[in-house]
Amino acid sequence: MQHKPLVFGFILLFVSLSLFSQTKYTISGIISEASSNETLLGVTIAIPSLRTGVTTNEYGFYSLTLPEGDYELQISYLGYQDIMRTVSFTKNQKINFQLTEKAEMLEEVVVMENVEKLNISKPQMSVNTLAAQTIKKIPVLLGEADIIKALLLLPGVSNAGEGASGFNVRGGAADQNLILLDEATIFNSSHLFGLFSVFNPDAIKDVKLFKGAIPSRYGGRVSSVLEIFQKEGNSKEFKMSGGIGAVASRLLAEGPIIKDKAAFLIGGRASYAHIFLPLFDIENKAYFYDLNTKLSFTINENNNLYLSGYFGRDLFSLSDRFENVYGNSVGNLRWNHLFSDKLFSNLSLIYSDYYYGLELDFVGFKWNSGIQNFNLKYDLKHYLSDTFQVNYGINNIYYTFNPGKIIPNSPDSGILEEQLIKKYANEFAAYVGVEHTLSEKLSMQYGLRFSYFMRLGQEELNVYENDNPVVFDPFLLVYQEATPTGTINPDRGERLATYTNFEPRIALAYTLNPDNSIKMSYTRTTQYLHLLSNTSSPTPLDVWTPSGPFLKPQLQDQYALGYFRNIDEGAYSFETEVFYKDIQNRIDYIDGANLIANNSIEQVILNGNARAYGLEILLRKNTGKFKGWLAYTLSRSEQQTPGRVPFEDTGRSNKETGINFGKWYSTPYDKTHDISLYASYDLNKKWSFNSNFVYQTGQPTNYPVGKFEFQDLTVPFYGPRNEERLPSYHRIDVAATLNPKKNVGRSWQAEWVFSIYNLYSRKNAASINFRRNQDTGANEAVRTSIFGIVPAVTYNFKF
Amino acid sequence: MKKYVYLLIALVFNMACEDVIDVDLPDQETRLIVDALFRVDISQPFVPVEVKLSLTSNFFEENVPTSAESVVIIYEETVDNVVVETRSSSLAETSPGSGIYVPDPNFSFDQRIPTNVLSRDFVYFLYVRHQGRLYLASTKYVPTTPINSINQGTGTLFGDDETEVVVNFSDDPERDDYYLFDFGFGEYLVTEDEFFQGQEFEFSFFYDQQFFPGTIVEISILGADQTFYNYMDQLIEQSGDTQGPFQTPVSTVRGNVFDITDLDNIDVFDNVDQPTVFPLGYFAIVQEYTSNLFIEE
Repeated sequence: MQHKPLVFGFILLFVSLSLFSQTKYTISGIISEASSNETLLGVTIAIPSLRTGVTTNEYGFYSLTLPEGDYELQISYLGYQDIMRTVSFTKNQKINFQLTEKAEMLEEVVVMENVEKLNISKPQMSVNTLAAQTIKKIPVLLGEADIIKALLLLPGVSNAGEGASGFNVRGGAADQNLILLDEATIFNSSHLFGLFSVFNPDAIKDVKLFKGAIPSRYGGRVSSVLEIFQKEGNSKEFKMSGGIGAVASRLLAEGPIIKDKAAFLIGGRASYAHIFLPLFDIENKAYFYDLNTKLSFTINENNNLYLSGYFGRDLFSLSDRFENVYGNSVGNLRWNHLFSDKLFSNLSLIYSDYYYGLELDFVGFKWNSGIQNFNLKYDLKHYLSDTFQVNYGINNIYYTFNPGKIIPNSPDSGILEEQLIKKYANEFAAYVGVEHTLSEKLSMQYGLRFSYFMRLGQEELNVYENDNPVVFDPFLLVYQEATPTGTINPDRGERLATYTNFEPRIALAYTLNPDNSIKMSYTRTTQYLHLLSNTSSPTPLDVWTPSGPFLKPQLQDQYALGYFRNIDEGAYSFETEVFYKDIQNRIDYIDGANLIANNSIEQVILNGNARAYGLEILLRKNTGKFKGWLAYTLSRSEQQTPGRVPFEDTGRSNKETGINFGKWYSTPYDKTHDISLYASYDLNKKWSFNSNFVYQTGQPTNYPVGKFEFQDLTVPFYGPRNEERLPSYHRIDVAATLNPKKNVGRSWQAEWVFSIYNLYSRKNAASINFRRNQDTGANEAVRTSIFGIVPAVTYNFKF
Repeated sequence: MKKYVYLLIALVFNMACEDVIDVDLPDQETRLIVDALFRVDISQPFVPVEVKLSLTSNFFEENVPTSAESVVIIYEETVDNVVVETRSSSLAETSPGSGIYVPDPNFSFDQRIPTNVLSRDFVYFLYVRHQGRLYLASTKYVPTTPINSINQGTGTLFGDDETEVVVNFSDDPERDDYYLFDFGFGEYLVTEDEFFQGQEFEFSFFYDQQFFPGTIVEISILGADQTFYNYMDQLIEQSGDTQGPFQTPVSTVRGNVFDITDLDNIDVFDNVDQPTVFPLGYFAIVQEYTSNLFIEE
C-alpha cells in the first residue's frame, strides 16, 4: 500500500517517456556487388513513402536514421537489379545488401526514376558523372576507352585540342583540376601527349567530375575536382579481363586472398606500336605503360584496410640521341573505421612522386626533375539523421619540388653538374561541411574550408630591391628580370611566406515539384601550387611551383545557377546551368620568359586576373534501345595582366603596359561553342552501335599583322594577343560492338569493338604556323593537323 | 592477313600532317626595320658597318628597302661618368633606294670605325632620321671565343634527311657569356654558359637537308649580351624553326631601337605613353669567328 504512489509514478514516467521521445533508430551497412563483394558508391537507398533517401559513400557505407516504424526501402543502382525491402526501425541494426547485375542490359536505364528524383532534390549541382559501362562504350581514338575523352563529351569540359594533354573545366586552366585516384593526387593525367589518359578503365569503379559547387572536403585546386575510385578486387573468385588493341593492350587480374575477407587487384597496360617502327626504318620510340595494384582487407565489421599503388611511365626517344621519360607513382594506405553506426571515418596516408627525366645525348647531359609529396588525410562522415549529415576532417600535404638537376652523361661532356634549388612547402586544411535537408522543398549543402600554406626555407633565395623581382623598362616597354641585390639561406624550418584562407562553400536546391528543381551555389577555392607552362596545354616540361614570397595563391569565386528537370518519369532529363567565375592572382609570363632551369621563377612572372562565364545545357535520353545525350556549352574565358601600380612616385610617368596593354584577352583554351552529341543504339543481343559528333569553335591563336627580315630570318609579328581563331573543330566517330553468340554460357566472355575516329577525315588544325618555305623561298601558312581518319579494332575479354 | 596488319599500323600512324593553306591575314601596320648587326673580325682593320633599312610588309609579301634622311653612329668613351672622347661615323646609302647604309666614302675624313677602338670602353649610338621620325639605338661591343673545331657527324635525329655537325668551343671562365651560332641558310642557335662555365663544350646541330659532297658549310660563332640573346632566342622561335603542338604565346619581338621623336628628356622620358610607336630590328656590334666545314661522303 505504501508503494502505490511510487508505482504510479513509475507508470507515469514510463508512459510519458514513450510518448515524448520519437525514438530514432539507425540502420547502417555496406552495399556491395554480389558476384565480387566490390563495394558500390552512390547507391541510392530511397524511402518512397517519405520521399527522401540517402546514398552510399565512397566506400559503400550508408547510414539511415529514422523514427521508429516500418519503412519500405528501395535500393537501386545503375546496371543492377533493384532491391525492395521492408525494414523495421525498432533497434539499431547492421544490414548489408548485395546487388546483382542486371542480366538484360538492353532495357537498361541510364538513371533510375527514384534516383533521378533524388538527384533533383539534392543540392549538389555542377557535377558530371559517368558509369564505367558508358565510358567503355564511347568510341574514342584507337579504340581505347578513355575516361578523360568521355568526360569531354559532357558540358563544361573541353581540352586544348588533339595532341594536348590535360583538360579545361568551365574556362579554367589545365593545372586547376584536382585529380584524385583513390584519394591520391595525380599531377599529369595523360600518356603520350594526350593520346591516352593515365587511368586504366578496367580498374576503375567510379568517376565524378565536380565543375562547381565543390564540397568543402576538397581543396587545393580552383577549377574542378576529378575523383576516381578504383575497384578493390573480387574477394569471391578469381577473374581476369583485358583487351588487345591496335596500339596498346591491357590485362587485369583480381581475386580473393582470403575468401570474402581479403582481395587483390593488379592491372597493367602497355603500348607496343613502337615495336613495329623499325620495320618502317624509323628508329624513334614512343610508348607508355602503367600498373595499378590494390590489396584490400576486411579486418572486421568496423574496419577495412586498403593498400593501393599506381605506377606509370611514358617514354619518348629519337634514335638514342634524345630520350624523355616521365610519369606518376603513387602509394596509398587507407583505413576505414566505424566509430559507431553513425560515424564513419577514413584515414589515408599517401606518398606520391611525379618524375620527369630528359637525356640529350647530342648535347651531353641528363636532366631529372620532379615533385614528391606526403599526404595525410582524415575524413569523418557523421550521419546524424536522414536530414542532417556532417562531414569534417583534416588534410596535410608536405611537398618537395625538384626543379631540376643537370648531370653530364659521359666523361667527355662539357656540362657541369648542377642542382637547381629545391623548394619545400606544406599545405594544411581543415574543413566542416553539412548536408542538410531543411524541408521537403529545400535542401542545402554548406561548409567552410580553412587552408594554411607555408612556404619553407630553401638553400638560396634571392633578395630584390623593393621586393621587386621583375622590373619594367620604360624605353623598351618590356619586363625584365631584376638583378638580385643578394641572397639569403633560410633554414628548412623557417617560413618564407604563409597564406591563410577561408573558403566558404554553399549550395542549395529548391524543389518546385518532384520533377523540377532550381539549384544555386557559391564556392570559393584556393590554389597554392601553380603549373608554369609557356604553352597552351601542359607538356611534361612544365614545372610545378609552390606559392611563396613572390607568388601569391590563386583565389577563385564561382557563382552558379541551374535548373533541373525530369521528363516522362525519367525517360528524359534536362539540366541547364549558368556560371560565373572570378580568379585573382592568375599569373602570366613576361615576353621571352625562360621557365626551364630557372632558379628564380619570380623574375619572369606577373600577376593578373582571369574570369570565365557561360551557359551549359544537357539533354539526355535515358531509356529504350536508343539512348544518348546532347551537350552544349556557350562560354568565354579570358584573362588580364595589367601593368602594376607604381610603388614609387618619382613625378614622372611610371605607368607599365602590362601584357597586351592591360586589356582582357582570351585564354588559350577559350571555346565559344562546344557541342557534343552522343548516341547509342542497341540493335540486338549481338550488336550495338555508338557514335559521337563534336563541334567546337576553333582555339584562339595569333596571326601575323606583318613580317620583317633580320639577318636571313623571316619573322612574323603580331597584334593583340589571342584575337584570331583557328578554323572550327569538328568530327564524327563511330563504333560497333559485337558480342558473339558463342559467349552464351561459357566463362570466357569476349567482345569485338570496331571503331573509326574522325569518320570524314577532317583535317582539324592543331596549329597554324607562319614560315618561309625552304625550297621556294616564299612565305606560307602551314596548318598542322594530327589525326585524319583512324580505324581501330579492339578485342576485349574477361573470364 | 599480314598485308592488313601492316596497313592497319600504317593507318594508325596517319598522324601530324602538314598542309599549306590560305589564310586571310588582318591589316598590317607598316614599321621601320633596322638591321644593324655588325659582325667583327678583330683581325681586320675596320668594323664592317652596314645598316639595312626596310619597311615591313604583309606576311606573304616582301619587305621593301627604304631610304632615310640621315644615318649616323656616334660613339662615346666615358670614364667615371665623364665623357672623355666622342667620335662619329656618318653613313650614306650605297646606291639610291638600296636602303643599305655604309660609312660615307665622300666625307672629308675617314668615316669608317677602326677595330682598335673596340678594346676601349665605348658606347655606340645609332641615330636614324626616317620620314620625319628620329630613331635611336645603343649598344656596346661584345667579344666571344673562337670555335675549336667543327666535324661532320653521322647521326640523325628525326630522319635520314639530315646532316650532323659537331661544334666544339671553349667558354671563358671569367665572364657570363651568351652565344649566337649562325649555321647559314637562316639557321641560328643561341645558348648561354650557365651549365658549362669555363669548360670546353661540344654539341651537335642537325641540318634538315643532306648536302652534296664537296659543299663548304660556313658556321660562325658570335658574341651576345643578355638582351641580344633574348632577342635572337625569340626571333628564332617565331621564325618557325620549332614545330609541334607546344606553341608558345607570341608577341612582337621589339629590339633595342626606339622612336625618340616625341621624347624631349624634359617631361617625357620614356615610351609608356606611346606603346604602339616602335621600330623593329636590332643594333649590335659583336665579335665573330667563322669556320668552314667541307662536307664529305
